[in-house]
Amino acid sequence: MKIAVSGKGGAGKTTISGTIARALARSGHDVMAIDADVNPMLGISLGLGMDGTERLAGIRQELSESRADDAIHEHTVEGLIERFGEDAPDGVRVVVASRVDMPDHGCLCCGVSADRLLRDMEAGGRTVLGDLEAGIGVLTRMEHGSLDVVLVVANPTPKAIEVARRAAETAVARDIRVLVVANRVAGDEDLEAIREVLGEYDIAIVPEDPVIAGADAEGLAPIDVDDTSPGVRAIIAIGERLTALPV
Amino acid sequence: MTPVAVPVPKPALWPVDMPLEPRPRGALWIGVAGKGGAGKSVLSGTLARVLAQRGHQVLAIDSDPMPGLAHSLGVPEPEAPRLMHAAEKPEQGPWRLRTGIGPMTVVRRYTTPAPDGVRMLQLGKAGTDGLNPVNGAVNAFLGTVRRMHEAPALYGWAVVGDLPAGPRQLAAGFSPYARIYVVVVEPTSQSAMTGRRVARIARGPLGADVIFVASKVAGAEERRRVERLLGEPVECEIPRDQAVRDAEKRRVAVIDAAPDAPVARAVRQLADIIEQRGVQSS
Repeated sequence: MKIAVSGKGGAGKTTISGTIARALARSGHDVMAIDADVNPMLGISLGLGMDGTERLAGIRQELSESRADDAIHEHTVEGLIERFGEDAPDGVRVVVASRVDMPDHGCLCCGVSADRLLRDMEAGGRTVLGDLEAGIGVLTRMEHGSLDVVLVVANPTPKAIEVARRAAETAVARDIRVLVVANRVAGDEDLEAIREVLGEYDIAIVPEDPVIAGADAEGLAPIDVDDTSPGVRAIIAIGERLTALPV
Repeated sequence: MTPVAVPVPKPALWPVDMPLEPRPRGALWIGVAGKGGAGKSVLSGTLARVLAQRGHQVLAIDSDPMPGLAHSLGVPEPEAPRLMHAAEKPEQGPWRLRTGIGPMTVVRRYTTPAPDGVRMLQLGKAGTDGLNPVNGAVNAFLGTVRRMHEAPALYGWAVVGDLPAGPRQLAAGFSPYARIYVVVVEPTSQSAMTGRRVARIARGPLGADVIFVASKVAGAEERRRVERLLGEPVECEIPRDQAVRDAEKRRVAVIDAAPDAPVARAVRQLADIIEQRGVQSS
């Protein structure tokens, strides 16, 4: 199954992605997490810490700089993952897809862009989970059927809801199933604001949770801080909901 | 403000069509960068208005394909990107800024007037088909910002560029005009990591000055947390302020809805720092 996580910057994509990846891995799935954000930070919510996350991004930096040496280039997605992926807790495999300071080269290695990586890789028996860059750009470049599900994350602000609406429409136009994640919901008013615009889609609710906010403040994975807090449990439940979907 | 010649170090990552010779630029040409949700648009719009109220002629630039600056500036969003009309498609080659149109003409004709005499230049608006349908506007936009240093009439202006989230557009040359980057950081690890990356690009290949701002902080402890996560001091803090959320819900500018709100007062302090820094660097 191939899942992508989309939404406005700051909506909570990375936290949702990392926590779902860890939860699915804990329940026995073979999880490949792709950090497709040009500002890669998935490592933090996977539990690699700020330094580990920066190191993971650094692997990509070095790669393009040593372009002259063809020998180190990988030509297949599988090879790339094998070579440049890193292990995160619970057996999640994670790979960073683009360079921080050279985003327009779009070169993962030998021309494999973040888009292509997500689009072309075969899920096989794995659960592939892509944390996309903010906005709807990557989704507009996906083809019909190249993803099974898009999680559209919306926190209850007008701008985030508007970006979520566009992301959901973009996915539907490409025959990709949409699950809206109403994130940081602190009350009925928040949920209503999201339902008003996104009511036609399936919605999963993640309540405002000091555990998640606290984890982000310290650079920790929420699931490592407290996997029984309401917000973390709600995200784990989204993972279960995804695995129950027909592929 | 006196225009000055600034030697720009040869940037290894600069797009090939960018001029690399030393270029004079205005002293108060500012880019506002940081992670999504850090408060860039509110800060940018309010800062533009504050500078205008102090007598500067201000150009506010929204280079985000998901425009958000209009609200915090206090203008209704234009229906279609005005810049589309400044673009032409040659028989061969990509869309470009129309021949004979320079940055000053763009500012006069294709910007939207905002309160206090601010002019707003807006990149465009991506629909569900992505940016392709507004390619003309995007290329006209890039043609404008990359040639701003050729328009001496703009040197005395203050420019406030609200950049899209993250390091991408900085690295891609969407804000070559900026001499000072205001890097907005919330007290979270993700926001701080983005701030570090953005500052590295701004100080390195872009050769610009950086002002770190702690954003949405509630109290001294959160400001210290921002500094700890960043690994360097911040120069200014913008408090978490309910007035921002209230204004956003009503789709009005916070500086109009609550001119004395804590966030507006903090942005005035930031404007002091920026004005001082601009004078120093001239």
